[in-house]
Amino acid sequence: MKSLFYLIVISSSFLIFSAGEYRCGSMECDNFKADVSDKASLQRGLSTYMNYCYGCHSLKYSRYKRVAEDLLIPLEMYENNLIYDGSKIGDLMEISLTKEDAIDWLGAYPPDLTLEARLRRPDWIYTYLRNYYPDSSRPYGVNNRVYQNVNMPHVLEDMQNTLSESQYDQVIYDLTNFMTYVADPSAEQRKRIGTYVLLFLIIFTAFAYMTYREFKKDLK
Amino acid sequence: MQPKSPPNPGRRKFLTYTTSYLGIIGAFFTAIPFVSAFKPSAKAEAAGAPVKVDLSKLLPGEMMTVEWRGRPVFVVNIPKENTNFITKNLERLADPNMEDPSQPDYAKNDIRSRKEGIAVLTGVCTHLGCAPKYYPDAKPEDFDSNWQGGFFCPCHGSKFDLVGRVYANVPAPTNLVVPPHFFEKDNLLVIGSDGVS
Amino acid sequence: MSENTIGKKSLEWVDSRFPVVDLFERHLSKYYSPSNINIWYLFGFLLLIVLVMQILTGLWLMMNYTNTAEGAFSSIEYIMRDVDYGWLIRYMHAGGASAFFALIYLHMFRGMMYGSYQKPRELIWVGGWFVYVLLCAEGFTGYVLPWGQMSFWAAQVIISLVGSIPYFGEDLAIWIRGDYIVSGITLSRLFAFHVVLLPILIIAVVFFHILALHEIGSNNPDGIDVKKHTDQDGVPLDAKPFFPYDITHDFYALGVFLIIFCSVIFFFPEGGGYIIEYVNYEPANPLSTPAHIVPSWYYTPFYAMLRAIDFPLFGLTAKFLGFVVMAAGIAIFAALPWLDRSPVKSIKYKGIYSKAFLAGFVISFFVLAYLGSVPPTETKNMLAKVFTFIYFAYFLLMPIYTKFEKCKPVPERVGDPA
Repeated sequence: MKSLFYLIVISSSFLIFSAGEYRCGSMECDNFKADVSDKASLQRGLSTYMNYCYGCHSLKYSRYKRVAEDLLIPLEMYENNLIYDGSKIGDLMEISLTKEDAIDWLGAYPPDLTLEARLRRPDWIYTYLRNYYPDSSRPYGVNNRVYQNVNMPHVLEDMQNTLSESQYDQVIYDLTNFMTYVADPSAEQRKRIGTYVLLFLIIFTAFAYMTYREFKKDLK
Repeated sequence: MQPKSPPNPGRRKFLTYTTSYLGIIGAFFTAIPFVSAFKPSAKAEAAGAPVKVDLSKLLPGEMMTVEWRGRPVFVVNIPKENTNFITKNLERLADPNMEDPSQPDYAKNDIRSRKEGIAVLTGVCTHLGCAPKYYPDAKPEDFDSNWQGGFFCPCHGSKFDLVGRVYANVPAPTNLVVPPHFFEKDNLLVIGSDGVS
Repeated sequence: MSENTIGKKSLEWVDSRFPVVDLFERHLSKYYSPSNINIWYLFGFLLLIVLVMQILTGLWLMMNYTNTAEGAFSSIEYIMRDVDYGWLIRYMHAGGASAFFALIYLHMFRGMMYGSYQKPRELIWVGGWFVYVLLCAEGFTGYVLPWGQMSFWAAQVIISLVGSIPYFGEDLAIWIRGDYIVSGITLSRLFAFHVVLLPILIIAVVFFHILALHEIGSNNPDGIDVKKHTDQDGVPLDAKPFFPYDITHDFYALGVFLIIFCSVIFFFPEGGGYIIEYVNYEPANPLSTPAHIVPSWYYTPFYAMLRAIDFPLFGLTAKFLGFVVMAAGIAIFAALPWLDRSPVKSIKYKGIYSKAFLAGFVISFFVLAYLGSVPPTETKNMLAKVFTFIYFAYFLLMPIYTKFEKCKPVPERVGDPA
């Protein structure tokens, strides 16, 4: 019977190893490790997002207030500097671009990006934003190694041209870090609570085990 | 087999109790997210956020109704000549000195407000929740031959003066509630927040 | 009057109107379980805990969920972001679904290994099998509710399967959907099944399952009938009362289970895409199918069988035949009590063929689970055919190999040398 048990363990590990195969279009994804506890990085990422992405890509499942609170930005400062359309601080981060206008002007409707980091994973976003290249056959003159024939122009092109490579990478890191945060804003709270829960459970289990052993003595 | 008597009853008792109490504590902590989930969500909080009201168009004697947290809030610009009545009528009121805490401390004054001549009142009768009607002028009315101006609730005949204090001998028990409010600028009223100060 | 007598009097008051003492004794303090049961006997208790957790978290999710095509997806994000601890309740429910299946598979395997389905426990087994079928339906309907891409296309694929039934299949599929494609109308009815009909049935059948078990009593790893030898009070010698001996064991097991479960939901709530698929973070789009559609891990063995059948047979189309084989893969568990002709219950005393076929079944279950979760290739399809065959061979050849193989003698009492 023991052998059957090992068999199960071995076959299930083979299941696990087969998962997680992930590629970024024509290339391997670059290594990206998010750090959502780095509030300064998240704030820089938010500012890049609001200035370069938010014109077309909403974050409509998130609220301004939640972002401000989680990123330790005073509400008044946030309201005055990062809300452009007269929305209230408690509102969802919706944009005014309508689907019809977008298709008229851009040929496609730019998707909402609140959950992009959960959908495609952060390393994909990081790699994607760093892999635009000139291609005169495309309408905007650029193409992307990760997402071939993408419809999105390279909105950070000017920035990439003026900044050094490592500075640009830092900008993309911060932006991706922010998108990772906004896709799963409860992550930090979750891990903090989880640690306490596990500590409690270990104590509980230890006592439950001793109680079990205590009663088991009767059965000898 | 039948249960046996334990070799060390003290140890058994200690372990059983500790494990049981830990289990109860665990169940208590498990209840926290379930209880918390019943609190107003971020969406409800956003919908109930403070409301800003521009009062520059509100002429003396006029009243406007503002919705805050789904309830009517009456904002009244009391004309100068009527302010006299507010202090004249005290003997007919049930609680003229506002002992009942139906206003924030900063509104526990003659004008029940943060600004002379502006009354801010929740338009919900303290009897059974109808919206009282505004009868500003001091003149005989069907419901009161000696009316001094104020609010009258059509449902059960409760009467309130211009700043929402309840008359004696009417069904409503307490004064109309003054919601938290402050003036961000001279003519910009914010309902739903006490302000920073 | 001391507190003790008040307590005693109120107990008497209740007991003369409702049999609390009798119920406590019959199901806990005088319910005897064999003294040789092992860790494989803990999963039933854990399943009961998970059932309660799913009902509670489900109730809370339902308070904030919107069952329309327009509102479903954003209502999930509303739960995840705006509702206090909504994320935790949802992760518990999603993780709970996976835990439910993991535990029920272990629980079923225990029954297969120790012959718990054999006489006189046929109804316990069939009841449990019915819970499993209902759970499959519950898992599927729940999977559709977030109305992401995977939700939509899973509903599309599963309901299309019904369309393969000859003659009236297409009409039946339209009737089930209530529309020509999977739409908000379909979502609404699957929601009603998920939150009302199926939970009621599951609770009812679980109740039946436990009552039936407590009538007969648990089997054990040796398959010994512990009721045969009793002391002068009629108490079985090779058994112990559930309370306190099993309950303390169960609570210890609960602690271990919760440590594993909480490690997952607090630190890996998506389970690497196995608990919550990444693709499901994109709202349902009827015009574009995701590149890889994979069912939840707990259905993948049967999904692999469905894909393995790519040939028509006996005038049945490949599509319909695949559906039949998949359904048979689930249904055939119910027939186990009548397929097994062995004189002994436990695999310990069965012959070499039973052991080999059971091992073959387990291997094929895992291989099919893997094959069902990856995109098909020609080799993989061939493998799926072979392992589907082995899977069914375990069941269909059982009447033969259990009848003719040589078994070891079962000891008379627990602890006796075999």
